[in-house]
Amino acid sequence: MAGFRLIDLAKPFLAFVPEIELPYDNLPFDDKLVITLTTALIYLFGQFPLAGITKESVDVKDPIFFLRGVFAAEPRTLLEFGIFPPIATALILQLLAGFKLIKVNFNQRTDRELFQTLIKIVSIGSYAILANIFIASGYYGEDLSLMAKFLINSQLIGAGFFVTLLIEVIDKGHGFASGAMAIIAISLSTGLVDDLFGVQQIPVGQEGHREPRGAVINLLQGFRAKHKTFLGALVNAFQRDYLPNLTSGLLVIVLGGTVCYLQNIRTELSIRSTKARGMSNVYPIRLLYTGGLSLLFSYSILFYIHILGFVIIQLIGGNQEGSIINKVLGGYESTEFFYLARFPLSLLTPPTSFFAVFKQPLTVVTFSAFLIVTGVWFATNWQEISGSSSRDVSKQFKEQDVALAGHRDASKELIRIIPVASATGAATLAVLVAVGELLGLKGKGAGIVVAVCSAFAILEVVTVDFQQTGGQSSIAQMLGGRAA
Amino acid sequence: MDSSVPGGQRTLQKRRNAQLQKEKKANQTPASPRQAGFGGSSSSILKLYTDEANGLRVDPLVVLFLAVAFVFSVVALHVVAKVSGKIF
Amino acid sequence: MAKQNAQFDKLVETPLEFVKEGNQFLQKCKKPSKKEYLKIIQAVGIGFVAVGVIGYIIKLIHIPIRYLIV
Repeated sequence: MAGFRLIDLAKPFLAFVPEIELPYDNLPFDDKLVITLTTALIYLFGQFPLAGITKESVDVKDPIFFLRGVFAAEPRTLLEFGIFPPIATALILQLLAGFKLIKVNFNQRTDRELFQTLIKIVSIGSYAILANIFIASGYYGEDLSLMAKFLINSQLIGAGFFVTLLIEVIDKGHGFASGAMAIIAISLSTGLVDDLFGVQQIPVGQEGHREPRGAVINLLQGFRAKHKTFLGALVNAFQRDYLPNLTSGLLVIVLGGTVCYLQNIRTELSIRSTKARGMSNVYPIRLLYTGGLSLLFSYSILFYIHILGFVIIQLIGGNQEGSIINKVLGGYESTEFFYLARFPLSLLTPPTSFFAVFKQPLTVVTFSAFLIVTGVWFATNWQEISGSSSRDVSKQFKEQDVALAGHRDASKELIRIIPVASATGAATLAVLVAVGELLGLKGKGAGIVVAVCSAFAILEVVTVDFQQTGGQSSIAQMLGGRAA
Repeated sequence: MDSSVPGGQRTLQKRRNAQLQKEKKANQTPASPRQAGFGGSSSSILKLYTDEANGLRVDPLVVLFLAVAFVFSVVALHVVAKVSGKIF
Repeated sequence: MAKQNAQFDKLVETPLEFVKEGNQFLQKCKKPSKKEYLKIIQAVGIGFVAVGVIGYIIKLIHIPIRYLIV
C-alpha cells in the first residue's frame, strides 16, 4: 500500500512496547473471574497519593472534578486521570478507522497489530501530556523543583503505563469482556460503598469534630453524637456538602435502578431455524444497543474540551482577572475544592449543587443538548462500524441458518430497528445523566450510569461463558449456584 | 411491470449489479476488527486489544505483580521523602 | 430566502421526527415486568455491593499506610 498511513507510526514501537500474551487455551471460568477481579482491585490499589507534591493548598484547584466519576479518576493520586486516555483514544481511533479516515485493513493481522499498538502508545502519550499540563499549571504546587517535576512525571506516566497494561490483561481474554469496563464497574461500586458506608473518620470544622465518610454511617453516628441534636443530625446527614450526603447517595441509587430498567427494555424478534422444523426462538434487540459507550464518548469529548480550556486559561493566560483570555473564555472561579468555569465553559459544566443551577440556567439546555447530540451521533455511527449493524446481524443469521419469522429478508427488518434503537437508547441515557448531573451529583450520576451499563455488558459475557463451560465453577458452587 | 422501470429491464439488471458490487466492496474493507471477524469492540463492549503483536511479550501475572510493585515503589518514595525531610 | 426557510424547517423537523420515531419504537418495546425487574434489581444490587465491599477492603488498606507516611 502506497502512501502514508497513521498506523505506520506505531511500527518503530512494535519491538519494545510490552505486549501481554494471549492465553494458550480458553481459560477456565474461575480463573477468568479471579483475574478480572484481581486486575480491577490492583487498579483500585493504585489510588494512592502522589509523592513529591505540596501539601499546602494551592490556588489552582481541580478543573475536571465532574469528569472524574466516569473515568474512575481520583484527584492527587496516581490515578489522576483514571482510565480516560485509553478509553478516549480507543473510542476515537476506532471511530476514525471505521470512517476510513485512518487506513487500516482489519483483514490483515499486521495491520491489526499496528492499530492496537498505536492505541497503546497514544494513550501512554496522553498520560504524559496531561501530567505535564497539570504540573505546569501549578496544580501540584508552585515552584516545584526539577526533581519533583521529574518524580511526578514518572509516577503519573508509570501509573498510566500500568493501567493500559491492566486493561490489556482483561481484554486479551485472561478476564471477562473489556478491561476498561470492568475497571469502571468495580471502581464505581467501591466508590458507592465508600460514599454510603465508609467508616474513615475525617476531621471537620474548627472544633476538632470528626465525621465518617459514609453517609449512612454518618446518620447513625450523628444520632449518638453529643454535639448534635436529633434533628440537626438528620439535616446534616442529608445535606452536608463537604462529604457524601444521603441525598446524593439516594439519587445515585435511583439512577442506577432506572438504568437497570432501561437495560431490560427490548424488542423481541421471533426467529426460526431454516434447517430444523419447529425450532423457534426470540432474538432480543436492546433499547440500549450501544450500552454505556455513547456516554463514554460524550464524556471523552467533554474532557478534551475542558482540558483545552484549562490549558488556554491557566497555562497561557494564568487565569488573570481582566486579561483578554479571561474576558473571552471566562476564566475560573476558585472555590474550596474546585475550579469553577465561568461563562462560555460553564455552559458545559454541570452545577456543583442543585441550587447552583440558578447561577447559570442556560447550562440546563446546553449541557443536556451536548450529551444528547454527541451521544446520538456516536450511537448511530458506532452500531454501523462496530460489527453489529443490521448487515452484520443478518449475515450472522445466515451463517447460523436462522431466519426471521415472517420476513424473507432479515436485513430489511433489522435496518428498521437497530439504528432507531441505538439512537433512542443513547438519547434516553443522555437525558437520564443530564437530569442526575444537573441535580448536582458532580460526576457520580454519569459514573453510576456507565458503571451499571458496563456491569450488564460484562454480566452477559460472563453468563455465556458460564453456560459454555457447562457451569463447572467451584466459585459458583460456593455462592450457592447463583452466580449466573 | 417492465414499463415501470425507466430504461427497461436491462438497466435494472445493471443497477442491481452495481449495487451488489458496492455491497461487496463495503464488505471487503471491514470497518473494525469485529466486522472482519477477529473479535474487538462490539456494540456495547469497548475492547482495545485483540491480537498478539510481536513485541516484548509478557505474562499477565508478571504485569499484575509489577503493577503492585510500582505502587509500593511510590509508597517507598513517600517514606524516603518523609525520612530525609525536604529532598525535592 | 426560500432555501433558508427550507433549511430552517429541516432543523426543526429533524429532532421532532427523531422524538416521534423514538417514541414509536419505545411503545413497541417489551418492558420488564415488575417481578422480573425486582429480580434484576436484587441481583445487580447484591453484585454491586459485594464487589464494592471487596474493593473497599483494598481502600481500607490505604488508610493506615497514608496515616503513617503522609
